[in-house]
Amino acid sequence: MSNLDFDPFDDVAVRLEAVTMRYDSPEDVLSDINLVLKPGSFTFLTGASGAGKTTLLKLLYLALTPTQGDIVLFGQRTSLLNRDKLAALRRRVGVVFQEFRLLDHLTAYENAALPLRVLGRKPADYREDVEDLLRWVGLGPRMNAKPPTLSGGEQQRVAIARALVSKPDLLIADEPTGNVDPEMGARLMRLFIELNRRLGTTVLIATHDLALIREFDAPLLRLSHGLLARDVEFGASA
Amino acid sequence: MKEGPLLPENDARESALFFVVCTLCFLAALAALTAKATYGAAEGWTAEVEGEMTVRLRDVDRRAGDEAQRIIEAIPGVISARVMTPEEIEELLVPTFGQTGFPAGLPLPLLIAVETEPAAADVAPNTARRLTEEGFSAVVDEHAEWAGDVRRALGVLRLAALSAVALLIATALSVIAFATHAALLARRDIVELLHLSGARDRFIAALFERRFWMLGLRAGAVGALAALGGAAAMIFVAQSRGGRANLLPQLSLDLLDILILVLTPIVAGSAARLATRFTVMRALKGKDVTA
Ligand SMILES: Nc1ncnc2c1ncn2[C@@H]1O[C@H](COP(=O)(O)OP(=O)(O)OP(=O)(O)O)[C@@H](O)[C@H]1O
Ligand SMILES: [Mg+2]
Repeated sequence: MSNLDFDPFDDVAVRLEAVTMRYDSPEDVLSDINLVLKPGSFTFLTGASGAGKTTLLKLLYLALTPTQGDIVLFGQRTSLLNRDKLAALRRRVGVVFQEFRLLDHLTAYENAALPLRVLGRKPADYREDVEDLLRWVGLGPRMNAKPPTLSGGEQQRVAIARALVSKPDLLIADEPTGNVDPEMGARLMRLFIELNRRLGTTVLIATHDLALIREFDAPLLRLSHGLLARDVEFGASA
Repeated sequence: MKEGPLLPENDARESALFFVVCTLCFLAALAALTAKATYGAAEGWTAEVEGEMTVRLRDVDRRAGDEAQRIIEAIPGVISARVMTPEEIEELLVPTFGQTGFPAGLPLPLLIAVETEPAAADVAPNTARRLTEEGFSAVVDEHAEWAGDVRRALGVLRLAALSAVALLIATALSVIAFATHAALLARRDIVELLHLSGARDRFIAALFERRFWMLGLRAGAVGALAALGGAAAMIFVAQSRGGRANLLPQLSLDLLDILILVLTPIVAGSAARLATRFTVMRALKGKDVTA
């Protein structure tokens, strides 16, 4: 387990406490969500389109602040942290965005290596790791291509490589297999599971790919109408 | 394999900004050179005439003039006194009466050129008093007074030039702040991604700072060189038109001129950098850029 700096009295990777989220309109997108993810857990999140999966994930990777309630990440109450501390927390979270968010002027390799640049690592130190990872997701021959010249599935795999490259403590993936064929989907899923098992990374994956959920037997959270199906504590690894 | 810059290379907006900053730097350097030249000119114009005065005597002949000269020479602080020849006087009067000369029949005044110790006090009033005591009707022209007027006029010019420099710097700052903000919004995708990847505000600001520091530096250098060329051209034109060359600021690149020209790009770069940092940090802290 890599998370040595956990508060021993608060042994959770993620805890949402009565979180409510509203955008500009008066209706809640998420209402009174309570959720705990234990360190090293592997969890699926599902729900109809528009149910609020992406919103929930955005709260977890600290892109949004909740309208009400509080979020605890790695034992740290995010509402009490300053901007630099929040940035430090974000560096421990790897995110596969639903819309990829690749930078078009950088190559696939440079996109994948971006979190390491943010961490201030030296290119010579990470070069091989990044290349290995890109080969693993089947992008060996396309490393120097820029995103606009990549297929949707290839772009998605660059986004996944970028999320994994810094070996984050928490991996959040929003529809990470939406644009790839079932075979590549299963391959990517095995990559997430391996990361989870080997490094103890806490993984949360939003998907409405029911086949995938069935194939990889892991706890399942279901969002509907802004409510989490049950307030549950998931501790099991996949 | 060298990694590409996180911010993509220049776009058209930056060329426009480069031109604007360049122009502002050109004007600012020119104004600074002007302000500096007023110091040099004031020195040149007044050093000659300070320590000089002219005594004008009415209704006297040449002999009385020599008498007056002796009296003046005895006054403390006077180095020498000399009765000017009629030809010298006529030449002095050319600006007033033209080349046709002084109208015949009018009595030519008698002038005595006096050289004084610049540091000596009250030489002019003492001279006037002594001559009156001796029964002369005399007017004492102290050039230092006139020099004072020149100094004051140049002081006003200098103040105007320095205000122009300050105003141009302030304008450059606002223009750059505006441009940074635009660049930041145009590059929201990058800013947001870096923010979500855990980059500190300072890290993100540094990317933009580096970009605009370089832009300010380059634009400042080009503007300063253009200002140097412009100043040289102006002085050349004025001199070749037969102006009184000795009254024009001299184009001699002294240390201060070089300092102005070297400082222009550095000030422009630093100003760009400061404006950028301020704008980026403020935008990041507001809800402006990151959701
Ligand atoms: N920035 C926003 N401003 C206003 N409303 C938003 C915003 N983002 C999402 N919403 C609304 O919040 C609701 C939940 O959106 P969200 O993107 O979380 O759904 P989702 O479960 O991820 O859907 P999908 O499966 O289609 O990705 C939707 O009704 C959406 O219209
Ligand atoms: Mg979504």
